[in-house]
Amino acid sequence: MNKSKIAPLINLVCKRNITLTTPREGKRNFRKFVIPNKRGSRIHKIQQTGPNHELPIDKRGVRDIGYMLNGKFVQVPEMIPELIVPDLSNCTLKPYVSYKTEDVVQSEFSSQQLFDAVYSKKIVLDFKQGKLDESGLPLQPSEEEKLQPKEAIAQAKRTGSDIF
Amino acid sequence: MRIYTYLSKKVGDLTIKYSNFPESYVKRSFEQVYWRTPKGYPQYTDAEVSRKKFRFTTNRPWTGAFARQNERGTLRKKVFVEPIKEWSFFKGDRVEILVGKDKGKQGIVAQVIQERNWVFVEGLNTHLRVVGKDKEFPGIVVQNEAPLLVTTDVKLVDPESLKATEVEWRYTEDGEKVRVSVSSSRIIPIPKAAEETTDYKSKELYIENPEKDTTADEAAKITFSPKLRTFEMDIMEEMGIKEDRVPAMSYWY
Repeated sequence: MNKSKIAPLINLVCKRNITLTTPREGKRNFRKFVIPNKRGSRIHKIQQTGPNHELPIDKRGVRDIGYMLNGKFVQVPEMIPELIVPDLSNCTLKPYVSYKTEDVVQSEFSSQQLFDAVYSKKIVLDFKQGKLDESGLPLQPSEEEKLQPKEAIAQAKRTGSDIF
Repeated sequence: MRIYTYLSKKVGDLTIKYSNFPESYVKRSFEQVYWRTPKGYPQYTDAEVSRKKFRFTTNRPWTGAFARQNERGTLRKKVFVEPIKEWSFFKGDRVEILVGKDKGKQGIVAQVIQERNWVFVEGLNTHLRVVGKDKEFPGIVVQNEAPLLVTTDVKLVDPESLKATEVEWRYTEDGEKVRVSVSSSRIIPIPKAAEETTDYKSKELYIENPEKDTTADEAAKITFSPKLRTFEMDIMEEMGIKEDRVPAMSYWY
C-alpha cells in the first residue's frame, strides 16, 4: 500500500483503553474533579487527614475561627461569629406586611442630607452669633465638629467591621 | 428560535400578579433541574441540565397538577403560542366572541391564562361533559367554558357603542398608559376585577392577619433619625455593647 492509503486507516485503530490496575495505582484523582470530604478511596481520605494532602480541604463555605501556628491551630475568640439578637418582646413589627400599605417612594439618603442633619443647625447658629473665625471654622466646636478622619476610622473599626 | 424557547418558558406577568408570589418562587416551583455544576469551583463552567419545554394549561405552574402533567419523561407535542408584546385582556373585561357557537355574543372575562394566550368568558363558548359516570350511576352533567385565543377568537368591546373594536395602548396627556379603541378613540379602562389575587379581591378589602401582618399604619411610621454613626456603631450603641480596643491599621497596595 502507498502512504496516502495508510493515513486515513489510522482513524480506525483503537485508541481507547481501560485501566486494568486497582484504583489506588491506576487512574489518579485529577485536580479538575471536586472530591469533597466524604468522597474518594480510603487511602485518599487518610491522606487528606494528614499534613501532606494533595487537594485543599473542602470547608463547604464555612470559615475558620483561627489560624495555624507551628502546625497547631490557634483559635481566636473574636473570629467566632456571634449573633446579636435584640429583645423582641415589645416589637410591633411582624414578619409580613399588610397589602393595604401604600407604596413608599423615597429618594436615597445622601451624604449631603446627613451633613445637613448633623452639622447645619450649629453652623447657622454660630454664624448668626458671630462665633466663627476668619476662615469659617467654629470657635467652640461640638463633639462632631472636633472629629478627625483618623479618629472616625478608629471608631468605625472598633465595631469589628473591616470595610472601612 | 432561542428567543421563542425563552418566551415559551416564561410565565406571564398577570399569572405572577394573580398568585401574589415572588417571581423567583414561581420560577423555582416548576423548574426541573437535573444537574447543575457546583458553584465556587473555577474548574467547572456554569452548566445546567434541566427541562426546557413545559405544557402550560389551566393548572397554574406552582400546583401539583402541573407537576404531574410535566413529569420527567413526558413529551408533549409542541403548542404554538403567538408572542404578544402588549397584553390587553384583563379579568372583568367585556369582550365579544368572534368564532364558534356563541359568535357575536358579548361576555365578561372570568380567567386569563397568558402562557397560552387564553381567555375564558363567563358562561359562553361552553360544552357539556359527564362527570363520575359508573355502571350504576349515570353521571352528573357539568357545563364548562372552553378557552378562547386572544389573537383570533376574541375582541374587546367599546364601552359606549358596545361594538367589537381593535385596541391600542396609548398615552394620555397626564402620561398614563391606557387602552384606546382604534375606531372611536374612547378609553377602555382596566376593570376593577383585574386587581384580584389569591389573597384579596382588591387591596382595600384585604383582611389583615393580626399574628403575622404588620398593619398598614405601623409600616408607614417613620422611625429613622439621621446620626453620625455607621450601621454597626448604631447597633452597638443600641444593644449597649462597649468595645474600646482599636484593631491595627491595614493598608491596601
